[in-house]
Amino acid sequence: MGQSFAVETHGLSKRYATGVLAVSNLDLRVRTGEVYGFLGPNGAGKTTTLRMLSGLLRPSAGTATVAGGVPGSPSSLAQLGAMVETPAFYPYLSGRDNLRVMARYAGVSTSRIEPVLTQVDMSDRARHKFKTYSTGMKQRLGVASALLKDPQLLILDEPTSGLDPQGTVEMRELIKNLRSGGRTVLLSSHLLNEVELTCDRVGVIAKGSLVAEGTVEELRARSGGRALLVRASPTDQARRLLESLLKPEQVQLRDGLFSLTIDPSQAAAINRRLVADGLDVSELRVAEQSLEDVFLQLTEKPPPQPSPQVGGN
Amino acid sequence: MIASLRADGLKMRKRWATWIMAGIFLAWLVLLVYVLLFYIVKSQPASLRGSEVPAAVLKRQLFPENLIPTVLSTAASIGAAIMIIYGALGTASEYGWSTVQTILIQKPGRTAVLAGKWLALGVATVLISLAAMAVAALCAYVVVSIDGSSSSWPAATELAKGFGALVLQLAVWAAFGAFLGIAFRSTAAAIGGGLVYLFVGEVLLGSLFRGATVIKDVLKYLPGINATGLDSAFHLSYRNPGAQAPLVDATHGLITLLVYLAAFIILSLVIFRQRDVGGG
Repeated sequence: MGQSFAVETHGLSKRYATGVLAVSNLDLRVRTGEVYGFLGPNGAGKTTTLRMLSGLLRPSAGTATVAGGVPGSPSSLAQLGAMVETPAFYPYLSGRDNLRVMARYAGVSTSRIEPVLTQVDMSDRARHKFKTYSTGMKQRLGVASALLKDPQLLILDEPTSGLDPQGTVEMRELIKNLRSGGRTVLLSSHLLNEVELTCDRVGVIAKGSLVAEGTVEELRARSGGRALLVRASPTDQARRLLESLLKPEQVQLRDGLFSLTIDPSQAAAINRRLVADGLDVSELRVAEQSLEDVFLQLTEKPPPQPSPQVGGN
Repeated sequence: MIASLRADGLKMRKRWATWIMAGIFLAWLVLLVYVLLFYIVKSQPASLRGSEVPAAVLKRQLFPENLIPTVLSTAASIGAAIMIIYGALGTASEYGWSTVQTILIQKPGRTAVLAGKWLALGVATVLISLAAMAVAALCAYVVVSIDGSSSSWPAATELAKGFGALVLQLAVWAAFGAFLGIAFRSTAAAIGGGLVYLFVGEVLLGSLFRGATVIKDVLKYLPGINATGLDSAFHLSYRNPGAQAPLVDATHGLITLLVYLAAFIILSLVIFRQRDVGGG
């Protein structure tokens, strides 16, 4: 049986009138029922992509299918709940009245309002005007609005942006609960910890292009996976020995600590060789490569190429 | 479309600016038309004594027999300004608060969203027109009662036509404001642009260069001039020698205003449907 996708894009691109190419040839597949993390540094093209998927922006090229329909079409929007960028509501209306307005636009019963307010823990403040809300309350009202239609696909753009640590933890728990009932969640963020703790799969976008996609474990493995950390002295003698045992690119020295990109099962053998050669081994452990390392590796600018020397060999 | 109409109705009803705008229009009608003019004609200041229209005749403008032309002349000035602001607030605020993106990711398509907004503006225009007519009728009744004079009310068909003319011209100005709001995506720019056009473009230039043939030909196709032309179908019960003859007749005015109304709606829809929301 074929895999079904809640979001599928082919060659999706967006060039703004200013000439800026915000998204370039993006092929994205979000599986039905998963929490997908859309990860990228600020300005990478995350929000532009989400705006295209929500029908707010027209792609310059490429196609997209969102919840079984063309982005922005009534059939797609009927199955989509979204909070793109900052939650935007009427400042002079209460939280509850704002949801009443959105329920009318969406054609859903106002009986949905109280359950979603309870779900985001906003029932107590729903009678107050939106303009009096803190950033966290605005974020939660944004999620409540996205949930009004009880959608099959939720798009949340930086949902923990501006939240305090307590609010971040609550929002993360809320997102985990939202996946119940087979709901798909597409979550954009530049916060690695958030994505790591919440998402089944991750897509990393940099400069408008998808540079990697997979589970967090797959991304780690692709970027070198785990490493063996060794502290041995004298350092120079240890380096000579390790570089004779392994390939040079597998040995990195940082702050007196060797990072060896090898299978950790070789730890005992490495230790024996170092001790046999009279070296003092004070630390030996296996380190997981953090998602941050992976992220930086995938999104960092490549180092500038040395310019060819004139008259060189 | 009905869903959007209901949503926009709720927003308008709960917004103070809606009531303030309508209140200013009605207060202007009561205080600066009926109360002030009645006070002036009753006190008969020296400046009025040499007037071509004696005070005893001038006060008849406030009587029930002149209800329609009095309301229409107020609508052509302060009414137009109020409706430009009202229309601009209705559309430009959605951009100012970025609520346009929240709306557009609900279920209805862009055409339905804008159609709902137009309908809500239309309903509000009818209600404001009704309120203006009712308040003016009440004032006229009070004035004629205090004065102890006699006056007849306009015939029902005349009242209906006058009401239609009032709704049409207010709707054109509201649509103009709403169009500017969508085009500029800024409340300040839409209101500023609309009022500058009304008071500088039409009123000031229109009165300064009315004698020039080329300008006169252009003026014949401007909405304010055509609203005045439409209003000329409803005569005062007395002759006012100081009044300027309208540049266009009522039929020309009616057709041109309908064209303007349709043009503002269609242009707004084209822009609203095509334009990206946010980004870049």
